Amino acid sequence: MKKRKETGTTDKGIPLLFSIILVFAILGVLVFSVSHKITREMSASAIQNLSETLDLIKATIEAILNKEAEYQKLMAEEIARAEDPEEYIRAYNKNRTMVKLSFIWKGKTEGISNTGEAFSEEGLDFSAGDMVGELFISDSYLNYMGTWAYTMKCPVVKDGQEIATFYVEYVYDSLDRSLPEGFYNKKAMLYIMDAKTKRLVMKPKGMGERNAGHLNLEDFYRANDIQDEELRQEVEECLENGKNVMFYHNIRNKKALNYMWSVNGGTVYLIGYVPIEAIQQEGKTVNQNIFTVVAVMLIAFFLCCILYYFNQKEQNRIRREREKEREIHSIQLAEALQAAQIASNSKTMFLSNMSHDIRTPMNAVLGFTTLLARDAENPDKVREYTKKIAASGQHLLSLINDILDVSKIESGKVVLNVGVFTLNDLVSSVDAIIRPMAKAREQKFHVMVTGIRHETLMGDETRINQVLINLLSNAVKYTQPGGNVWLRMIGQKQRSAQYEHIRIEVEDDGYGMTPEYLEKIFDAFTRAENSTTNKVQGTGLGMAITKNIVELMGGAIDVSSQVDKGSLFRVDLELKIPEGQTDKQFWKEAGISRILAVESDAGACQDIRTWMADEEVTVDIAQGIEEAVHLLQGAAGEKYQMILLDVEGMGEDGIQAAGEIRGAVDAGIPILFLAANDIEEGEGTLQAQQMGVLVKPFFVSAFKAKVLELQEKGGGKEKEAESGNLEGLYFLAAEDNEINAEILSEIISMEGAGCEVVENGKLAVERFAHSRAGEFDAILMDVQMPVMNGYDATRAIRALERQDAKEIPIIAMTANAFAEDEKEALQAGMNVHLAKPIDVELLKQVISQYAKGRE
Amino acid sequence: MDRGKDKKRVKSAAACLAGLAAFAMLACGGKPNGANLITEEEDSARVVTMFSPMEKTEPNVDNIARSAADKTVILAEKKLGVRVNYVTYTAENYQDKTYDDVALDRARNDMDDIYLLNPDVIKALGEEGKLMDLSGLECAKNLRDVVKTANTVDGKLVAIPQEVVAYGLFINKDMFDRYKLELPETPEDFLECCRIFKENGIETPVGANRWWLENFVLAQAYADLYNGGNTQAEIAALNSGESKYSDYMRPGFEFLKEMIDKGYVDAKKAYVSEAIEGEGPDFLAQKTPIVMAYWGAANTETAYGDADFEMLVIGFPSSRGQMPVMPMTGFAVGADAEHAQDAMDVLEVMLSDEALQIYAETNRVISPSNNVEVECVPALKPLKDRIEEDVFVLGANAGMKLEQWGNTCLIVRELLNGATVEECMAEFDRLQEESMGNERNTG
Repeated sequence: MKKRKETGTTDKGIPLLFSIILVFAILGVLVFSVSHKITREMSASAIQNLSETLDLIKATIEAILNKEAEYQKLMAEEIARAEDPEEYIRAYNKNRTMVKLSFIWKGKTEGISNTGEAFSEEGLDFSAGDMVGELFISDSYLNYMGTWAYTMKCPVVKDGQEIATFYVEYVYDSLDRSLPEGFYNKKAMLYIMDAKTKRLVMKPKGMGERNAGHLNLEDFYRANDIQDEELRQEVEECLENGKNVMFYHNIRNKKALNYMWSVNGGTVYLIGYVPIEAIQQEGKTVNQNIFTVVAVMLIAFFLCCILYYFNQKEQNRIRREREKEREIHSIQLAEALQAAQIASNSKTMFLSNMSHDIRTPMNAVLGFTTLLARDAENPDKVREYTKKIAASGQHLLSLINDILDVSKIESGKVVLNVGVFTLNDLVSSVDAIIRPMAKAREQKFHVMVTGIRHETLMGDETRINQVLINLLSNAVKYTQPGGNVWLRMIGQKQRSAQYEHIRIEVEDDGYGMTPEYLEKIFDAFTRAENSTTNKVQGTGLGMAITKNIVELMGGAIDVSSQVDKGSLFRVDLELKIPEGQTDKQFWKEAGISRILAVESDAGACQDIRTWMADEEVTVDIAQGIEEAVHLLQGAAGEKYQMILLDVEGMGEDGIQAAGEIRGAVDAGIPILFLAANDIEEGEGTLQAQQMGVLVKPFFVSAFKAKVLELQEKGGGKEKEAESGNLEGLYFLAAEDNEINAEILSEIISMEGAGCEVVENGKLAVERFAHSRAGEFDAILMDVQMPVMNGYDATRAIRALERQDAKEIPIIAMTANAFAEDEKEALQAGMNVHLAKPIDVELLKQVISQYAKGRE
Repeated sequence: MDRGKDKKRVKSAAACLAGLAAFAMLACGGKPNGANLITEEEDSARVVTMFSPMEKTEPNVDNIARSAADKTVILAEKKLGVRVNYVTYTAENYQDKTYDDVALDRARNDMDDIYLLNPDVIKALGEEGKLMDLSGLECAKNLRDVVKTANTVDGKLVAIPQEVVAYGLFINKDMFDRYKLELPETPEDFLECCRIFKENGIETPVGANRWWLENFVLAQAYADLYNGGNTQAEIAALNSGESKYSDYMRPGFEFLKEMIDKGYVDAKKAYVSEAIEGEGPDFLAQKTPIVMAYWGAANTETAYGDADFEMLVIGFPSSRGQMPVMPMTGFAVGADAEHAQDAMDVLEVMLSDEALQIYAETNRVISPSNNVEVECVPALKPLKDRIEEDVFVLGANAGMKLEQWGNTCLIVRELLNGATVEECMAEFDRLQEESMGNERNTG
């Protein structure tokens, strides 16, 4: 389409260009024609003008000659009348025109001259028969003055008889004085040539004009390079016939109009040339002006073209940009539409899945409820049904939690709750959840922690936990029974001293995923679908939630998988290291400064040594039992205050090894078995004094707890079992929902406690305000209630002027399950926040903690 | 940024258009002054006429020597605000009046103001009192003595040249080398060279015209007179008639006669040939190894300046070795010139050191001024060396009563035309007698 547009622009441009060229070509031809016509006309006019000028000069010369002849005739008449003609002649002084007067009596060949010497016709050539008026004129000759002259002879007639001949010599110089000094702005060259001798008898006198030839016609031809024989022949013919000639010829590389103008019937000729540029000066000026105008117009036109060009260029640029923007918008719209369609499809699919996933447990709940009603009299059946209803309810709950999480994350409302936690707690809690699941599916769950320098870190433990649970539960779900699931926490090279860089790997050898699915695994509302995994229940939101949480924590997650080979998820996190977390005092008080670790895994040994070094506890490593026994029996044996014995994979050998070590050390030195979580505690050997099991992986906190436990055992202190017994307690419960209120009442009564339920916060406040001191052990407060909500009610209660108003535990029980809700509840003055549906065990634990703690 | 460029473009275009409009208004503007459409032309009232020779014109060729003179004329025109009009004459053929004849006629009839004259004419007109005394000009003070001597007639400095014209033999050195010939010093050497050239098939070893063969005669005649240390006494003896010109001239004429007789010179051709026109082409074509010409002809872009062979200019053979002949042309002012004062002023400028420097630099000649020196072309070095050694013969000397340059030329022509040496000597004797008679008459 773009191409088509560009072609369209070019298609428009070419005709326009051709039109411009055509217009200019026509204009050029027009200007040229006009200019040519002007030149031609001016040239013709100049030729005419030159002809007229030459005619004028010719007429002038002829007039002079005629006047000279007439004057000579008058003088001849005078001489005829004179008594002594010779005396008359002698008495005459030469002037500028008539330089010599001579007289020969008829019948004689010699006479006299006014110059004094004898005179004869010798040297004068009248043979041409040229005449001026009625007088014969001689050929031109160089006279006694060294200048060119001619003589006219006139008969002297007296009484009708010719008595003598009167000769007068005239010089051409006198003509020069009567001729224009220069014409055509002094650029024209004018000579007078004697027609018979072809001598140049009068020449221009200006400087530089000598170059034009000065001797005779041949010299004129030579000087002006007029060598064209044909032309010269034509000129010769004209000269012979006394005709005028005018022709173009270059004089000194300049085009000139050459002329030969007959005077006195061809006796003498005006010859010369005028440069064309002098003749056509006006034409040239006009042409120059025309060209100036054309040039100005052209420049103006081209300037306009340039402006037009830049304007078009700018317009095109803007158009292209707009088209580009439109294209981008179109693409964005298309993408948005596609995304919306995908989202819509995903959501449709999700809803379809949800519908299925919700209906399935709901069907179970309702179905078992029906069965419950029917078999209400059969306690075994009832227990079985309620157990299944509870399981279905739990599943529904997890579905709802996931949906809420996704919507929250997508709306950007998730806030990380950063706090200090230990990896031990994290791993323990995850282990506690996943291991039973794996066990249920007959899978092996392996936990490894290596290369981590700090056990106590800062982060949102709950969310990290969520990530691990999601990944691991998926691994369990998508691994066939008998498979393996690995959790690895690997310390990476620190990028900053303040942050621990941890890589969490969750691997399984399960079904694996197709490459297509891998591409969208982190998209919301997707779930691997095949004949195998379809059997697995899930919302398809777990991975999207996981990825979002990881990225929210500034981490990264990636996955690799092969179908039927398994999957590997890697989560990279950088968690801040809190300051001052070591508890060196504890170890001093416990009297432990050196321990022996019997561990075959060198990596694990190093981890233990590193961690304990921070606690200022020295760890010696024994790679095997023999080495351990050897160390214990050696000089240093007595220094060990504790022995860690890795018995994983030893089985009965482990017990035997423990026995060997026990035999080698003092009975008071505790021995801790490092074992996998699934070790069966309660074996006879382990029941013995000063022995315990420390579940792998090794964590300092767990080690510390175990040490404390051993010391307490050793000290005879029996830790009180924290039971969740609520017996004898009495609660005030604010709950607007009757069913929930009834359930609550029943649960509390089942635990041997009692409660009084009010319908809203206001009633709760009033009831508490009117209660006796100590009447209620705690207040269970719903949040969303009519009249007054739980937060306001709590504030009102805390504001009461009663001693116990500040102290009485207020426990939020609400369907508002988000962290913000919890935060708001605590801010309102509540002690703890429990999300609905109520977990009875948790409720018992919390109530007993706060209510009994109060006691 | 683009927008900023566009604005600049628009501004530039607007400025261009405004410029064009202003240009057009200026070009088409203008207003006549008053109602009279004729503007008065300044008439250059001061005109000086100068009569000078002119060679036959070649198409599209500038004559460097004339250009040099023209430059000094232009200088004078500029400095004085006068216009110098040229009047020229060139004989069409040998039957025509010579330039000298016409110069005499014109000067005698006061036709022009300034004349460029040959030595014989200078002497003739000087003696007739037709030339102004130029010794009062400032430029005359800078002249070399030899120049003053040659142009002083009856105690008056009647002409001043723009260059010291020195004649010499133009030698094709390549041809001399080809036949292993030394450059000739004496007439005998010269004849021997000619013999060898002739024997080697060179038809005419010496190219000549009707003007310059006299140099052979003058060189041999006056080598001792001008270089023997007794110049003034010998001239006085000649002027008084105690010595005869014919005695001086005879060896030279006999030499020329032998040259003619042996065919070393084509007498018939020389008799009708104008200077350079007759012999020049053969010399340049290396058909003729020797010609004679004036100093300036050796300069580039002149007659022999661009020869295709190694050319040397040496003096004429004489008993005292190679001898330059210096005839001294010169500018003169007519005694009754119409514009005498302007003419004197023009000469003052044309002959000033400034003008002579321009002339000498253009023309590469020996300047008549003591204050002007320029380098010459290498070919002229042998001739220049002799002149700098003060070894030369004057082709004309106004101090001699018998004009030398013109008369010798005419008598040599007679020799070319078949006269015997005796007849030529008789002519000299007649002329000497005549000059003494004139002296007596004027006396």
